Amino acid sequence: MNADLLGWSGAAVLALLACLRAATPVLYAALGGLLSELGGKINVALEGLMLVAAFSGVIATIFAPPGLAPALLPWWGAGAALLAALLLAALLALLHLECRADLIVAGIALNLLAAGLTVFLLAELAGDKGSTARFATPALPSLPIGGLDGWPLLDLLLNGEAGRGHHVLVLGAPLLALGLWLFLAHTRPGAWLRAAGENPDAAHAAGIPVRRMQYLALLGSGLLAGLGGVYLSMGYLTLFQADMSAGRGFLALAAVFVGRRSLRGVCGAALLFGAAGVLATRLGALDVPPQLLTMVPPAITIAVLALPGWRRRTS
Amino acid sequence: MIAFTGRALFDLLLPPAARRTAGAVAVALAAALALIACVSEQPLRAWLILLTGPLPELRQGADGAWHWQRLVRFGTVLEDTINLTLLGLAVLIPFRARQFALGADGQLFLGALAGVAFGLAWPGPGWLALPLACCAAMLAGGLWGGAAGVLKWRCGANEMVVSLMLNLIAIECYRLAVSRWLRDPGAGFPATPFLPPAAVFDPLIAHTGVGWMLLAAPLAVLAVALLLGRTTLGYEIRVSGAAPAFARQAGLPVGRAIVMSMALGGALAGLAGFHVGHALLKRLPVDLAPGLGFEGLLVALLARHQPRAILGAALFYAWLRAGGQAMERSTDVAREIVLVLQALVIVLVMAERWPWRARGRHWLGRMRAPGGTSA
Repeated sequence: MNADLLGWSGAAVLALLACLRAATPVLYAALGGLLSELGGKINVALEGLMLVAAFSGVIATIFAPPGLAPALLPWWGAGAALLAALLLAALLALLHLECRADLIVAGIALNLLAAGLTVFLLAELAGDKGSTARFATPALPSLPIGGLDGWPLLDLLLNGEAGRGHHVLVLGAPLLALGLWLFLAHTRPGAWLRAAGENPDAAHAAGIPVRRMQYLALLGSGLLAGLGGVYLSMGYLTLFQADMSAGRGFLALAAVFVGRRSLRGVCGAALLFGAAGVLATRLGALDVPPQLLTMVPPAITIAVLALPGWRRRTS
Repeated sequence: MIAFTGRALFDLLLPPAARRTAGAVAVALAAALALIACVSEQPLRAWLILLTGPLPELRQGADGAWHWQRLVRFGTVLEDTINLTLLGLAVLIPFRARQFALGADGQLFLGALAGVAFGLAWPGPGWLALPLACCAAMLAGGLWGGAAGVLKWRCGANEMVVSLMLNLIAIECYRLAVSRWLRDPGAGFPATPFLPPAAVFDPLIAHTGVGWMLLAAPLAVLAVALLLGRTTLGYEIRVSGAAPAFARQAGLPVGRAIVMSMALGGALAGLAGFHVGHALLKRLPVDLAPGLGFEGLLVALLARHQPRAILGAALFYAWLRAGGQAMERSTDVAREIVLVLQALVIVLVMAERWPWRARGRHWLGRMRAPGGTSA
């Protein structure tokens, strides 16, 4: 399918796809941040969790057991990545819930730990401090959707410009958002988790296992942020670079606040931040300084955080 | 009775908080040794270089005179100590008002930018240009920090998220200014021109950036200790942090204390930026690495928010950073292990109790109980 034939609508769809791809890692991390925030335990370590997952996935595929089938290799890497993210999240949960460390400070410390440990192990295991570009590492597969020949725009939207379908994690993001909504709104553990976040004492008095819900919130956020990290190193790119998450975890944290803790708002904010990143790289060719566009997501965040309070005070 | 006084004397000599910090540092250093042993051929040698690398050596030269060796590496320790002290104080002041402001990074960038821009634009005599550039840097950092404070006070915006976002904006402003407006066309990479020689500090140790700014670190510590301990504003900051409801009830200007704490912290981070621009680099590259502000947070945490402990904590981390570089150069271990070490120290310092230790004490108590010894 040629994009030129479709004119403006085709170009719009392509731009939308670029935004979706750029927003996917932020979206996963933001969903994780939302889950932890709703459980009353905001996870500041999203950045480090993404980094550790991105690193572990690539390293696990490089050092895979020899007998592994090539088709299974990326899945093996993704599994290892999620396990690593889960372990780091478990460390955060233990430190905060069992050792009573301050949640925010522990989160920041784990971010630093992740930044240091990934570069340290990268230098020791891959022999290069910058990236794993020397090794060919696989991406998770893409899923084409057939039978759309009659609808060129829909085909372009669902199968991308190359017609090979979208990365499985790009397709998984909206499904996961839907699943998270179902979990939070329509299951008993979801309601318990929100209650534990809203008022732990009341929830405890009502017989809800508050501690378990807090563990669930933190571990779940680690798993979701880990998926974002897997997409970074086994989809968006197929290698690991030092400091690969590049502030996406903090943007995801901002998206939780911008979205005012609602699932719809958080998804919208994450997509917006992804779009701003895409625009910043696209406009590099024009005379608009890309730095101005990179400032847009933080500026929006500050405005959203500040404006309601301002209105309340003046009226 | 004797046991009691012995215990009291021990507590006096080494307070419990200091004991726990020392214990955390020792455990983290041991963990670093274990981690090095996993990857290195000569773990003990690498570990010893990490710890002793920055120490200058006194050696007898061929002419019979004694010379200091490796002074440049020791100079980097002093440079980093100044930076980390100022940044640690910059995080500490808002912390005492219980404001989780993480904006030191952006304030440092803006401070460096303002100081260097002033130094380039106004080539006056050194004795006037340096203090004015310093004021410009502190003003820029202070305004940026105060902005987060005003947003918190007037709008109730979460100061942690706002200051992180202000960091991103400040760093982009810095990159925009350096690559567009202050760029030196003669340089092969985007960077500002060098500052005029009259507007930079002369080094006290040859080939390093250690200048008279060395005095700024202890003076800043003293100033902050006096501010927090002996002034009305410092009292307001401390009470607003320790008991906000009481402070409001007592009619203390809590909002003003919050804004002032963040603005003062910002000014100190701006001063660190001035140090980076005028004493260390003498020009600003566009890719100045962010992240130093977070190390200021680590320093403040290691010092347990006590101004007088900041200098020691900053020296310790600066020492480790220089040791890490020495280790990387002469062994097969990457210097990023220092970041791991720092994070471990913070995690250990922050943990308020250890469940397994309490359990161990419980067992110990049960074993002792039949013997009848009193606790």
